Amino acid sequence: MSLQTAHSPARRATEQLMQVRGLTMSYGSGAAENKILQDLDLDVRAGEFVSIVGPSGVGKTTLLRCLSGLLAPKAGTISVGGQQITGPHPDLAVVFQDYSRSLLPWMSTRENVAFPLQGKGMGKAERNALADRNLAAVGLAGQGDKYPWEMSGGMQQRVAIARALAYNAKVLLMDEPFASVDAQTRFDLEDLVIDLHTNLGVTVILVTHDIDEALYLADKVVVIAEKPATVVDVIETNFGEVRDQVETKADPRFAEARARILHRLRDH
Amino acid sequence: MSNQARTVDPGLALQRLLAVAVLLAVWQVVVFSGVLPSMTPGVVEIAAAIGSTITSAVFWASLGKTMLAALSGWLIAVAAGTGLGLLVGSLPRLDRSSSILIDFGRSFPVLALMPVVIMMLGSNTRMEIVVVALSCLWPVLVQTIYGARRQEAAVVDTVRTFRIPKLLWFRRVLLPGAMPFIATGIRISASISILVAVGVEVLSQAPGIGRQITLAQQAQHWDKAFAYLFFAGLVGWGIALLLQTAEARLLKWNRQANG
Ligand SMILES: Nc1ncnc2c1ncn2[C@@H]1O[C@H](COP(=O)(O)OP(=O)(O)O)[C@@H](O)[C@H]1O
Ligand SMILES: [Mg+2]
Repeated sequence: MSLQTAHSPARRATEQLMQVRGLTMSYGSGAAENKILQDLDLDVRAGEFVSIVGPSGVGKTTLLRCLSGLLAPKAGTISVGGQQITGPHPDLAVVFQDYSRSLLPWMSTRENVAFPLQGKGMGKAERNALADRNLAAVGLAGQGDKYPWEMSGGMQQRVAIARALAYNAKVLLMDEPFASVDAQTRFDLEDLVIDLHTNLGVTVILVTHDIDEALYLADKVVVIAEKPATVVDVIETNFGEVRDQVETKADPRFAEARARILHRLRDH
Repeated sequence: MSNQARTVDPGLALQRLLAVAVLLAVWQVVVFSGVLPSMTPGVVEIAAAIGSTITSAVFWASLGKTMLAALSGWLIAVAAGTGLGLLVGSLPRLDRSSSILIDFGRSFPVLALMPVVIMMLGSNTRMEIVVVALSCLWPVLVQTIYGARRQEAAVVDTVRTFRIPKLLWFRRVLLPGAMPFIATGIRISASISILVAVGVEVLSQAPGIGRQITLAQQAQHWDKAFAYLFFAGLVGWGIALLLQTAEARLLKWNRQANG
């Protein structure tokens, strides 16, 4: 499948792509200031799959919104490919937690996927063809004429992923993308994202509160905790490129990593 | 308002027929009882007048004039109200500063402006179109502002991250998102357009159905006056029905997506 050409498939992640230094963020100001993130550092290599795991309310969504350029941090820098970002950036595509609301109900799924491409000035035939190819890549071949509200939650999330892929960004940012689907759909979507990452070589940063999910998906798990939140641990997983919902999770190294994260979160 | 109930329930159809029959019967009883002035026409006279009106060239010409004025004024109001409303509703600062003007404008009795407009333009179709447009503007404007204000946070984020250009956002996000509200404004103002057009004609003697009603009344052709009234009502009803059907088809996503 020749979806995009920007990334060579399954390249070894070596080259530094995204760098976060001293990220600090708070809501409100003065006496009402609510500090959420404090001095957070993060390094992401090209082609890497990074999970960021932390308990609910710790500031994961806030962090992802900063990384995507939707929120301006109070202090610190975020750069992509050596270039500091000051707002939404063409190298970053986001898959939101609230996927059903982030799809436009008056557009067919094909139009939804093609819409950001229209914003880039791409012609209709070209962007529709690209939309169809990306829909096929997420397992929705031939469903371009359907509307989001005719689809299940899992399928809607696939559309949102296809839209982010079609945008041809270097980094895919995902905020608890599978939090509101049933368990089986969730496993299917997790495996889909692993396949897309392996086959297309796209860099993924995924935020989740689910430790198993974080470990299962990622090359590197970043644990954030405390208030204000900061990085308390970074774990490089080495379960290999091919993952299996049963076998990978039964791997002793998986159990060991899970125990380590649980300890870290309990200690903070 | 359901369009899946294409087949009319026979029980309901019977009930509706009955309601019409009751209205006609009451009318006839009131006329016979002598409560109304003696020249009030009965059901049969009105029916006969309706019959002869349909074949009258004067009727069709005046109906055409009324419809043209109503439609023109309405279209102007829809275009202006939608454009202005999207602008105001999507720009919080403009919204806050203009809300007092809009609240004043919507409660202003536009028909009372008619003498001023007559003074400026004369008693003609142009004047009629202006008064219709001014009356229709407010429902469209107010509804569009409501619609444009109500932007989903997730959609706003999506538009920002994918860096959708302003004009494209206006056309393919803001406008369709506000469309369910705009449609309500369009529907309300369509009824108003006929109402105001006929009213202006009655009051100002601008050509159209309203003028014919006044003429029939002055000539004491009450049956004819009622026949014209009947048609004015029929037209308004037909338009409302048409718009409702169009809305059900074009905004199917709205009912489906929002339950
Ligand atoms: N827009 C906002 N304004 C003020 N406080 C906010 C806002 N968004 C989130 N918060 C607060 O910031 C904290 C972290 O929220 P969030 O980033 O959504 O956490 P998580 O995604 O990890 O559950 C929470 O205490 C929340 O109440
Ligand atoms: Mg969150």
